[in-house]
Amino acid sequence: MTDRRSFLRGASVLMGHAAFGQVMTAFAAAPRKATFFTDLEMVQLRALVDVILPATDSPAASAADTHYFIDLAIPACASAAAQKTFREGLKALGKKRFANIAPAEQVALLKARAAADEELPYDQSFFKILKDYTLTGYFLSEVGATQALAYERVPGGFQGDVPLKPDQKAWAI
Amino acid sequence: MAANNQFDALVVGSGMSGGWAAKELTEKGLKTLVLERGRDIRHVTDYTTALKDPWQLPHNNRATNADRAAQPIQSTLYLYDQSTKQHFVNDLRHPYEQAQPFNWYRGYHVGGRSLMWARHVFRYSDLDFSANQREGVGVDWPIRYADIAPWYEHVERFIGASGENSGLPQLPAQILQPPFEMNALEKHIRGHLAENFGGERKLICSATAVLSREHNGRGPCQGRNQCARGCPFSAYFSSNGVTLPAAAVTGNLTLQPDAVVHSLIYHEGKNRVTGVRVVDANTRKTTEYFAKVVFLCASTLNSTALLLNTRSARFPNGLGNDSGELGHNLMDHHNGGGATASYSGLSDRYYRGRRATSMYIPRFRNVGKREDKFMRGYGYEVYTSRGSWTRGIGGTDFGADFKNEITRPGGWDLYMEGYGETLPYHDNRMWLSPDKVDSWDMPIIQLSMTYRDNERAMAKQMMDDAVEMMQAAKLDNVAGFNNPVTPGSVIHEMGTARMGRDPKTSILNAYNQVHSVPNVFVTDGSFMVSSPTQNPSLTYMAMTARAANHAVELLKRGEL
Repeated sequence: MTDRRSFLRGASVLMGHAAFGQVMTAFAAAPRKATFFTDLEMVQLRALVDVILPATDSPAASAADTHYFIDLAIPACASAAAQKTFREGLKALGKKRFANIAPAEQVALLKARAAADEELPYDQSFFKILKDYTLTGYFLSEVGATQALAYERVPGGFQGDVPLKPDQKAWAI
Repeated sequence: MAANNQFDALVVGSGMSGGWAAKELTEKGLKTLVLERGRDIRHVTDYTTALKDPWQLPHNNRATNADRAAQPIQSTLYLYDQSTKQHFVNDLRHPYEQAQPFNWYRGYHVGGRSLMWARHVFRYSDLDFSANQREGVGVDWPIRYADIAPWYEHVERFIGASGENSGLPQLPAQILQPPFEMNALEKHIRGHLAENFGGERKLICSATAVLSREHNGRGPCQGRNQCARGCPFSAYFSSNGVTLPAAAVTGNLTLQPDAVVHSLIYHEGKNRVTGVRVVDANTRKTTEYFAKVVFLCASTLNSTALLLNTRSARFPNGLGNDSGELGHNLMDHHNGGGATASYSGLSDRYYRGRRATSMYIPRFRNVGKREDKFMRGYGYEVYTSRGSWTRGIGGTDFGADFKNEITRPGGWDLYMEGYGETLPYHDNRMWLSPDKVDSWDMPIIQLSMTYRDNERAMAKQMMDDAVEMMQAAKLDNVAGFNNPVTPGSVIHEMGTARMGRDPKTSILNAYNQVHSVPNVFVTDGSFMVSSPTQNPSLTYMAMTARAANHAVELLKRGEL
């Protein structure tokens, strides 16, 4: 997405696989009990976020509790229409026991859903909402920002033009 | 508090202009009361989100439905998120009415919008100060560059700014620390502009009130680019971090937060304002404060509202409003025209840290020769970066390959938008509601402003020029845009109490004094006579310092 906001805030990026330890997070400290979705929905959600962002050279989305982020953020941040779309989307996948089917079948199902949703407005697209919240939940979590990406809370200054190292991670913010 | 609430000077507002009025007046020995309508925000101590990581903020920094319900206007701003929302007003508590759509972004607290501003600080030149006279628009500025140049220097030396002087006469040279470094793509673009446009169009690092070097114990910038949260390193200029502390050390400053100024107290026999009426923001108790001189620095619309709300037999239409121009000639910049592009080269270059400013292309239209299609001109802010994980939000991809791809830097992207001058139109204006008041018994401000043919013609050219330059720089996927702009959105609202040479057509004289009531000075954006392309805050600061020193001279001579 290209707009002034993303360029002012998100687009400048940082460096180095920052050793980033000591941070206590309110999120991580929260009890891992869903507040909005049912237990069955949470099982589906956990499987879904891991199909979108599986373990690679960094942990999978569920290892960052991305499904719990979605459980808090959807009721707080999403529009009423998007909340409805999201819940119905989960229900539709739940019928097919998404969490229990083979990985290849999970991918095929989600691909079909992505294709079916492609032309729909955001609020009516389960896939678009899911991807938005999964990526925001994961890449701005401590695990996502510091392991999947690179994060420096206080970079200490600005270097405008440095070589990109082989396989260097992108800055989280 | 002083005996009988009597001071030498009153300053209404503690933001960009109020902080400067406080500093100059207190340093010259005046016992000065600064009245701030909002809460206190103490430098560093009260920057509660400054060092939070994204995951420490609610919903990874995403605004909630409840936030948007309380701040329906403020939450549309690019700066608004969980880390900054406390610096913007609750729109429901602070209503205004839009006869035409107008986005009014406000911070009611000590420091005002100096806490969240975009920090670009350029000077105006005589191309700007003489434009109205040259083209027969509005009224003539009562000053020229020579009048304000020493005050620009005075302000720049104190606030500390970094950036690059363009060498172009329309953007006068400034006192600047070394600029922040350009990235590889910006260097590439700069080279191509130099090759293709004969030195008329240049890419420079914006003059910015962000320190690239230590300055008076402040800074340098630590590359966080989270200025609007408040800077624990004091690396950008804010009233909270720079001017108010300087005023405080004189021992002459009294800062009173939660003090909503309702109107001025006018004494017809003396033809002076003797004080102000203040409503306590919390208790709503009314108190009066008195002084020999009053500086209105409450921000463009609010200072004019105070004048309009001060009515008497002598001034039935608002204090100082003999001309009938009070409330009129409201302006803002417009930034709807620009371009986006990408670049597939330079894939082996990156950057470290988050630079807290943009690159800039100074105005080049209506400089050397006069354009046919429109008057005045525009400069561009230019933003470039390599793609981040956010590029993955759209699209249908997912899975391991997708994750590997978006966790590495993407290609280069560019976004640039012009900041165009808006002409002063008499019927772009604000006025006070005849029957509705806010919680502090202050009539609600009503606004009507539209952009016109000159701005529309300019916006089209802003788009076309942006496309032309990025094509010349050999970028990929160059796409122009020309989006409608809601007035107020650039947050450079200005005018409504313009300066001028003639009391019959203006409110303020060449020293920001109300023509007809000389101990009242208005030094925020209200005084603006035209809206030159460059960002205005530096000029507000310089004009405030100049007016404050003039007021001190007049007081010494017994002329106030």
